[in-house]
Amino acid sequence: MKRLIAIVEDEAAIRDNYAAAFAREGYAVRTFANRAQAMGAFAARLPDLAIIDISLEDEPEGGFELCRQLRALSPVLPIIFLTARDSELDAVSGLRLGADDFLTKDLSLAHLSARVNALFRRVDALRKPEQAGDVLRRGPLTLDTERMQAQWDGKVVLLSLTEFWIVHALARHPGHVRNRQQLMDAANVVLDDNTITSHVKRIRRKFQGVDPAFDAVQTVYGMGYRWVE
Amino acid sequence: MSLRLKLLLLGLLTLVLPWAGCRYAREMESALREGEQTSLESVAETLATSLEGRVDLLYRAPPGAGADGSSRLEAGPYDLRPLALTAAPLVDGYSEGWPRDPSAWSWYEKDAGHRFGVLTGVYERVLYLLLEVRDAHPVFDAPGASPLDARSSGDRVWLGFQDPDGSEHQVFLAASGPGAVTARYVAAGEYGQQLAALEPRIRGVWQLAPGGYRLELRVPLSMLGTGFGVLVDDRDARGAAPVSYGSLQPDDLRTIGHLIVAAPELTSYLAQFSQPGMKLAVTTPGGQVLARVDELKRIAELGPAPPLIARLYRRFVDQPGTAPPIEAQVPIYDREHAAAIGALEVTQTADRWLRLRDRALTRMLNLTLATSVVVVIAMFAFAAWLALRLSRLRQASESALTRTGLIASFPDTEARDELGAVARSFSSLLGRLNEYTGYLRTLAGKLAHEIRTPLTIVRSSLENLEAEEVPASARAYLERARQGSERLNAILLAMGAATRVEEAIGAAERSRFDLVPLVESAVAAYRGAFPERRFAAELPAQSLALEGAADLIVQMLDKLIENAVDFSPPGATITVRLRLEAESAVLEVDNPGPPLPSEAPGRLFESLWQSRGGGDNRPHFGLGLYIVRLIAEFHGGSASAGNLPEGGGARFSVRLAR
Repeated sequence: MKRLIAIVEDEAAIRDNYAAAFAREGYAVRTFANRAQAMGAFAARLPDLAIIDISLEDEPEGGFELCRQLRALSPVLPIIFLTARDSELDAVSGLRLGADDFLTKDLSLAHLSARVNALFRRVDALRKPEQAGDVLRRGPLTLDTERMQAQWDGKVVLLSLTEFWIVHALARHPGHVRNRQQLMDAANVVLDDNTITSHVKRIRRKFQGVDPAFDAVQTVYGMGYRWVE
Repeated sequence: MSLRLKLLLLGLLTLVLPWAGCRYAREMESALREGEQTSLESVAETLATSLEGRVDLLYRAPPGAGADGSSRLEAGPYDLRPLALTAAPLVDGYSEGWPRDPSAWSWYEKDAGHRFGVLTGVYERVLYLLLEVRDAHPVFDAPGASPLDARSSGDRVWLGFQDPDGSEHQVFLAASGPGAVTARYVAAGEYGQQLAALEPRIRGVWQLAPGGYRLELRVPLSMLGTGFGVLVDDRDARGAAPVSYGSLQPDDLRTIGHLIVAAPELTSYLAQFSQPGMKLAVTTPGGQVLARVDELKRIAELGPAPPLIARLYRRFVDQPGTAPPIEAQVPIYDREHAAAIGALEVTQTADRWLRLRDRALTRMLNLTLATSVVVVIAMFAFAAWLALRLSRLRQASESALTRTGLIASFPDTEARDELGAVARSFSSLLGRLNEYTGYLRTLAGKLAHEIRTPLTIVRSSLENLEAEEVPASARAYLERARQGSERLNAILLAMGAATRVEEAIGAAERSRFDLVPLVESAVAAYRGAFPERRFAAELPAQSLALEGAADLIVQMLDKLIENAVDFSPPGATITVRLRLEAESAVLEVDNPGPPLPSEAPGRLFESLWQSRGGGDNRPHFGLGLYIVRLIAEFHGGSASAGNLPEGGGARFSVRLAR
């Protein structure tokens, strides 16, 4: 059975373009223009993945509300925010509501589908019994690349998909400086310096939430970041 | 001209008040003078009326002789009108001490060789006589001889007069040499013989004078009645026959002329009407002064001398020179009011009304000058206050405007006047300007946001189109459209950069870090990132701890370096310099290349200000330097730009508070 992707987006042209792209990839796609339509359909059947815009028709923050309701329906359903709004505040709010990723609309379709695929992989991996397959260990850090889950000292650190990929890119070669471009490539995303910086900041804060002494992500001024053990 | 000065000058206009006061004082003075003149004339009229017909009071006359008094007033050739002397002449035979008035002399002559003049005057009830006798051969009596001995007689002077009872008397003066003489009269002796008796009340001095001799005499008026005459016996040799001439009958020496003298009561009568600063004089109809009371000089009794300030004011008001006194002259008539028996002259010194005027003038000038001073001070204070408010307003507006569009605060004013209204409207204007500036600043971000959606439609459509069957001939167009949309995307990213930096600044956390290794590391990275440029770092040896956000500092440095790279030729050396100052750290980036545009260098750091063309196709929105400024200001510093000397390029400096 094809996986079902729900796209909630009030801009018809974008909605249809995304739908066409995902359909081409072999997914089943349902599109909704507003929150009411989407929730009506979700009550009947949950999609396998939801891509949500924040502002929906007459609700400027309708996407957030939708995300909260969806998360209430299913704690594991992958949710991606795809929006024209790129403010730090929106990103933080979206991720705090339990979204798996927060993306801006300048992302290419190829990158978007890479993320969707990755999220589905994670869903699959979570269903399977735990296995010590693709696990990267760097001191207290454990990265499960199948489930895209990070642990620090055995405690789970909840990272968004972009954050996970950044941590992964850094931790794979400890000590090596990863510049911004490399990190963007790894995260399948095109971001500007400030967005990278705020991603790194968020990553640090999340690890520090588990271990206040966390200091493994180091800034190399002018060049990028590196993982130190 | 400053507002203060203008208002001060305006205040000085009130000096018109004292000026007008002076003008008024002059008008008042002439009015006063007229009034004084009128009152003086009426005083004179009254006084003259009181003297009307009082010949007895005017003229010294024997009792009962008043009826024919009028005949005495017609000064005949033999009448003498003594001067009213102001001081007693020293009786010494010289004419010093007498008024020099040729018209006062009475001259008598027999022929060309015989001529004498008499000058008479009265002072304090004494008649003084001065005789000038022209005599080619003055002859004195023989010394020791009896004055009655005709053989030894020399020149003689006879005085004939009526006593107050009307009896005729004759005395003569003879001298055996120059010096004091006493009158004698011819009296009958015990045995009927003639004796030359002394008349000690009539004394004088005989002196020789060029062309003759001079005789000065004093005669108490109490001895005299109306008739009076002088006769000279001129002898060319002792004992010779005399040539007699003068104002006496030559045969019996009876008087034919009169002595016209004021009555003794006249002076005291006048004195009771006199006042300090006034002169009263009674004259004969011919103008001869009979009596006068002169108190013109007794100004001191008018009151204390005017204070200094009044004298100062008087200088402004009065024309130079002393004010002339006022005078009134009225005739004194006889009982029938037909003929004048005399005239009354009243003179009053100008001081009397000048003092009156001065008092009013002083008060008025004091008042108006005080008003002027108060007005000037008030105007000056008001002007100073206004200027202070205006300069505050100016400072506020200047500082509000120079902070490149960001208005921290504009002082609120409660003042209800126009200036307060100006300040308030200025404040609201700046507020609106601020809103507009804010709108402009966020315009790029808003535009980027608004364009993003249609751009997403374009890009996703293109990407979908690439997945479709597209003829090879159309592929090229597809690729161009994709490239175009990529560029558009890059533009959008750049446009939103400032907004994101502002957000980052809003969320930035401050920590303490060392600026030196940070700059060192960043410069090393730039060497890798821009292989076509050389980088030189001039860093201090010691560490430089700074409180702030290291990420933002690096981002700021990135922007500075990007700017330096854009405007320097390949192979150029870009110098990054870190200097320490007392309270700040200064980061400088020098790049060779074209000089800065001549517009205010500060504008380079404004949002969306771009006047220099970059060397590549990357989008330039003038946001790089704006970001530099934002970050510098976040660190309590400032950004500035200048040209290097000798066209060596440009230098961008950032001052960070330590």
